[in-house]
Amino acid sequence: MSTTEVRLTLNGREVAAAAEPRSHLADFLRDEHLLTGTHLGCEHGVCGACTLFVDGRPVRACLTLAVSCQDAEVRSVEGFDEDPLMARLREAFSRHHGLQCGYCTPGMLATAYDIVRRLPQADAARIRRELAGNLCRCTGYAGIVAAIEDVLAGDPPPAAVVPVERRRRPRPRTEKPAAEATRTSDSQPTAPADESLPDRAALADGVALERTLRLAAPPERVWAVLSDIPTVVSCIPGASLDAPPEDGRLTGRCVVAAGPMKASFRGRARVALDAAARRGSVLGRGRDGLSRSSLEGLLDFALHEESEAAARLELAMRYRLKGPLAQFGRPALVEEIADRLLAQVSDEIARRALAGPPAEGTGAAAAPQRALGGLGLLAHALRGLVKRILRRR
Amino acid sequence: MKSAPFDYLAADDLADAGALLREGGKPVAGNQSLGPMLNLRLVRPGRLVDLSGLPELRRVEEREDCVRLGAAITHAEIEDGEAADPTGGWLRAAAAGIAYRAVRNRGTLGGSLAHADPAADWVIVMTGLCATALLAGPEGARRVPLEDFVTGPFATALGEGEILTAVEVPRPGRGARWGYWKFARQVGEFAKASAAVLVDREAGRLRCAVGALGRQPLLLDDPAGLIEGRVDPGEALRRALPERAVEDLALHVTALRRALEAATA
Repeated sequence: MSTTEVRLTLNGREVAAAAEPRSHLADFLRDEHLLTGTHLGCEHGVCGACTLFVDGRPVRACLTLAVSCQDAEVRSVEGFDEDPLMARLREAFSRHHGLQCGYCTPGMLATAYDIVRRLPQADAARIRRELAGNLCRCTGYAGIVAAIEDVLAGDPPPAAVVPVERRRRPRPRTEKPAAEATRTSDSQPTAPADESLPDRAALADGVALERTLRLAAPPERVWAVLSDIPTVVSCIPGASLDAPPEDGRLTGRCVVAAGPMKASFRGRARVALDAAARRGSVLGRGRDGLSRSSLEGLLDFALHEESEAAARLELAMRYRLKGPLAQFGRPALVEEIADRLLAQVSDEIARRALAGPPAEGTGAAAAPQRALGGLGLLAHALRGLVKRILRRR
Repeated sequence: MKSAPFDYLAADDLADAGALLREGGKPVAGNQSLGPMLNLRLVRPGRLVDLSGLPELRRVEEREDCVRLGAAITHAEIEDGEAADPTGGWLRAAAAGIAYRAVRNRGTLGGSLAHADPAADWVIVMTGLCATALLAGPEGARRVPLEDFVTGPFATALGEGEILTAVEVPRPGRGARWGYWKFARQVGEFAKASAAVLVDREAGRLRCAVGALGRQPLLLDDPAGLIEGRVDPGEALRRALPERAVEDLALHVTALRRALEAATA
C-alpha cells in the first residue's frame, strides 16, 4: 500500500502529512491533525455532517479524497474562530436553539455560512431547500432555519472565506503505480451462506416483480428444461451451483455487475415443482460478503401452453434487498436489470428446449462463470429468477 | 465506512489519462457518485485515475451554433453561470436542482453522464436538449448523440480506455421553449420520475424524453403530436413501454404532462 504526501493549507496553516489514497479529507483532518470538529455521520454523502470548505466552497469531506486536495485551502469548523460572520451564526444558533447534541452542527454551520454569503435574499423556504443536504436528528430544523434567517436579516458582516478561482494545480502521483488489477468479489473469501431460508409470509411486504416470458419452443420441452435445475442454472449468466441439487435444495452463487459495482451472492434455495400443473416456486436467500448485502426472495412460476410451438412463462417474484447494495437498489433499476437478464435467460431456455432433452449433468459443468453486465440488483433479480426457475422438487 | 485500498493517479493531460486508463484504472472526476460506492465497498478499483484537472476537460468553448462544455465542469459552475449556458438559463436551472450545493461544488457534468445513473439530471436533460457527447480514445475522437451515449442503467457507449471529454449543447433557435420536470420525494434525492420537452421549431428540434425509468431515457416517437396536444401523454408512454404496468408509469406520465405544460403553456 502506497502513501502520498499531501500538502495543503489547513485553517490558514501550511501542513503536510502522508495519506493513503483512499483516505478522505475528514479522516485526514481527524486522524493526522486531530481536528475532530469535522464529524462523520453516514460517510457516503447523505447526512452532511462532514461539510467543510475546500478552496472556499462547501464540500462533503467524506467524498473528497485527501490526495485530491493537494495545495488546496481547507477550512474546517475549527478555522472560523476569528471569522465575524461565523461568530454571528454561532450566536444565532445558540439563541434559537439551533442545536442539541451538536453532531450535525459543524456541517450545518458550514452550509449556513454558504447560504448567507451566496444567497443574501434567501427566505425561509429557500433556506430549507438549501439545508436539505444536512440532516439533524434532534432539535429539528426550525431553530436552525430561524438562526439563519436572523443572521440574514441583521446586516451580516461580509464573509471572510470566499471561493478561490479554480486553478489547475500539479498533483504529484502516488509513489508506485498499482500492480494489482481491479479486485472483484471473486478473489475475496466470502462469508458462509445463511443456513436458513426466508419464509413466504416474511416476504409479503417485499418488492414485487411480475413478468411474462414468451418462449418460442414446445411447452413440454420448455418444462423439461425448467425441471432440470443444473440446466436452468447454466442458462443464467453468472450463476453456478456448488453441487448437484438434492431434493430440490441447492447451494450456489451468482455474480452480477452493474456499472462499477460487482457482487457475488452465495446462498441457498429450495425449489418446489408441480409437474402436473407445470408450476413451481423457488425460495432463496443469498449474501454478498464483500458488500455485506443480502437478498432474499420468492419466485412463483407457471408455464402455459400458447400453441404447440410456443410457451408462456408467468413469473411472480417478491424480493428484499438489505445492506449497502440496497442504497442503489431502486426498484425501477432492479426491474431493468432483471428484464435484461430475463431476456437472455429465456432465449437460452428456448434454445436448449429446441435442442432437445438436456444430457445428464451438463448444466452444472457448463455453468458460465462470467459476470453479468447488470446491476447488483440484477444479482438479486437473478437469484430470484434462479430460484423461481429452479424451484421444483 | 472506509473504502478498500486503491492507488490514485492524477492525469496531467488527455494523452496521459488515456495511457493510464489503458494500464487499467477507474476514471474519476468529482467522486460524488463513485465516492459513496467506494465508501460502502460496493466498488473496489485497484486504481483511480483522476480526470478532474485535465485542461482539455476543463474548457468551455463557445461556438456559433453550440457551446462545448468540458466534461470536468462542475454542476455549481453551470448553476452559477461561470460556464456559458447556450440555452439562456435552462442548464443553470437544471444544475441548481442536482443533489446539494456541497455535492454540486465537486460533482461534474461528464462524471454524471459517464456514471449513467438512469435517474440522474444530466442524463435526461442533455438527451432532451439534443446534446452530443464528445469522446476521445485510442481510436481517435468521435461524436455520439446523447440518446445513443447512455445505453442502459450505469452503461454507456464508452469503449475501453475511452474518455468523455465534452458535451456539445446546441444553441436553441428563436422562440424555443423547454420544460423539465422531475419528481423526487425529498430535495436533492434522485428522481423517481422525470421528463424533458424541447420545442425548437426554428432549428427543427422537437423532443419529448422521459427519464428515471431504470433504463436509458426514452425518446417518444411523436413529439410533435404530444406538443400540439394531439397525442395523450399517458397513451404515448403506455404504447412505448407496453410491458410496464400502468401504475408504474403514473408518475412518469405526470412528469411528462408537466414538462409539456412548461414548454407549451
